[in-house]
Amino acid sequence: MSGEMVAVDYYIPLIMFLIIGALVPIGALAAVKIISPQKSTFRKRSTYEGGLRPIRDAGVQYNVQYYLFAIVFVIFDVEVLFLYPWIYVYASEAIPAVGGVSIAITGMLIFIVVLLIGLLYDIKKEALRWV
Amino acid sequence: MTLGFGDYLSLLGGESLLTGLVMVMVLLGLYLKNKNIQGYLALAGLAVALILTIGADRTMGPIFFGTMEVDPLSQFFKLVFISVSLIVVLAGLSRYKDSPSQDEFYILLLLATIGMMVVASSIDILTLWVGFELASLSTYAMAAFDKEKKNLEAAMKYFIFGATSSAAMLFGFSLLYGLTGTTKIAEIAAASIETMGPATLVALIFVVAGFGFKMALVPFHMWAPDTYEGAPTVVTAFLAAGSKKMGFVAAFKVILIALMALRLEWFMAFAVLVAITMTLGNVVAIWQKSVKRMLAYSSVAYAGYIAIAFVVVGAANNGGFDIAVAQGGLAASLMLILGHAFSKTGAFIAVAVVGYMALREGKDNPDDIEHYAGLGRRAPITAFCMLVFIFSLSGIPPTAGFIGKLLVWGSTIDSGLIWLGVLFALNSALSLYYYLRVIMYMYMKEPAGAKIIEPRGYVAAMVVALVAVFYIGLFPQAFVDFAYSAAAVLLH
Repeated sequence: MSGEMVAVDYYIPLIMFLIIGALVPIGALAAVKIISPQKSTFRKRSTYEGGLRPIRDAGVQYNVQYYLFAIVFVIFDVEVLFLYPWIYVYASEAIPAVGGVSIAITGMLIFIVVLLIGLLYDIKKEALRWV
Repeated sequence: MTLGFGDYLSLLGGESLLTGLVMVMVLLGLYLKNKNIQGYLALAGLAVALILTIGADRTMGPIFFGTMEVDPLSQFFKLVFISVSLIVVLAGLSRYKDSPSQDEFYILLLLATIGMMVVASSIDILTLWVGFELASLSTYAMAAFDKEKKNLEAAMKYFIFGATSSAAMLFGFSLLYGLTGTTKIAEIAAASIETMGPATLVALIFVVAGFGFKMALVPFHMWAPDTYEGAPTVVTAFLAAGSKKMGFVAAFKVILIALMALRLEWFMAFAVLVAITMTLGNVVAIWQKSVKRMLAYSSVAYAGYIAIAFVVVGAANNGGFDIAVAQGGLAASLMLILGHAFSKTGAFIAVAVVGYMALREGKDNPDDIEHYAGLGRRAPITAFCMLVFIFSLSGIPPTAGFIGKLLVWGSTIDSGLIWLGVLFALNSALSLYYYLRVIMYMYMKEPAGAKIIEPRGYVAAMVVALVAVFYIGLFPQAFVDFAYSAAAVLLH
């Protein structure tokens, strides 16, 4: 190992952080286990030690339609995500026009049209209608 | 040099056409009442894409800021992918006729094909990954297409294994990027040769695991038989013949460079993996009663045969680099891929015909070998096509499979791996046992029912595959030359 840093070396603090981060909670839990008195009663084992009575099962059912909405949302989230760097590239004129046609604009247009077709598909297939 | 839109269109005409077609088909599917035209649209699009792909200029060098390249290697694989897709669409014309969701089948199939074509052309790990995921996500949905219980199980297994392996692969890629600071495969290779460290090795192991899943190499093969058996049979044909080959082209691009960079006796590890893969695939195939599952295991064995190329290149690199041997080994593998693509697609479509027949008679396990009894008289075209595909898979001349196996066998001898050549030949002989059993059932047993009318789409698909298998088997020279020039791309 010579003195020069390679890319992985920059991660050494991160790795140390991960190790310490893993050790601290384990140590804390172990310390509690060793030091504290172990007296298990009914109240102690219930969900809320403060005395609140749990009223029903923890497994709550969500409507599966949320899933479709979430997917459509993610698609347009990603679109915005793409638009930001595109604006930067477009403004700095990093991508030249070829034959009078701006590649940056055409590329983004194609991208948006593809998304629009997807949206149209969702609407026609009634993915966005709440039943 | 700056390229205009026209240049891109002529270079990536097939991809552009198919992408546009998918958009049109999505819109048409929303408004059309009778969707049977969609299959013909897909067919026409694939046929034109095939011509465009053959005609594309292969000497242009990197395009799209050095992320893609149109070269003999990419065009060879695109040819395989489009042809397989074409045959599957033909079969789909019968399978999904009058089905209300048939347009989605063709759309997913075309999207998967586009993804594979992108993988074939990419020379950048991120572009490669995007193409890989496009193809994978489409095929996950296709595996569950008939929405039967078996389909869902197959798709679930495929999806979970696939997602995990994609994560492993992406992690490997991120490590490679961290180590070398670039996403271009050629630059990664150059940088890795200079600074070879333990981290590079870890990254490569992750990448190999990711590709190994798609290639169904032991020990990453567990999903393959279950998924191939449970998925709709036409989809299985596409998975075994198309999706799997995508794993190989990606592996050729990335792993080979890694193997050359390592300059260690690493290829011996691969040799052991290959030997286990082909032996396990063949031995387990013998016990199968379901023909579909048997073909799935033979597909695992084939993954082993094809992966011999990695070993041969590694051996050629051992102490001085013997480029002729390495090129021969790669070209042999490519020929095997070509032959296997056509024979396996055809064989699975023949299975689909028998399954269709058995289901109409109300049998509950449509892929059981019992249904093949007397197929020669019940469905003569299917039986004859199946016979030829089986001959091709077991390597009997004059078929495409024979050329591939002969070349692979020769390349193992050239590279001095006599033991691997012997094992390969023994495995081929072993595979004859279970292949011949199907033929015995088809032609020597009494028919289990009356003669049936074979669906026209299936017949067309099988005949196209049959013609290809014979054509490659009888006039292999043009294809072998093509394979050699494709192999040269990897070794320059």
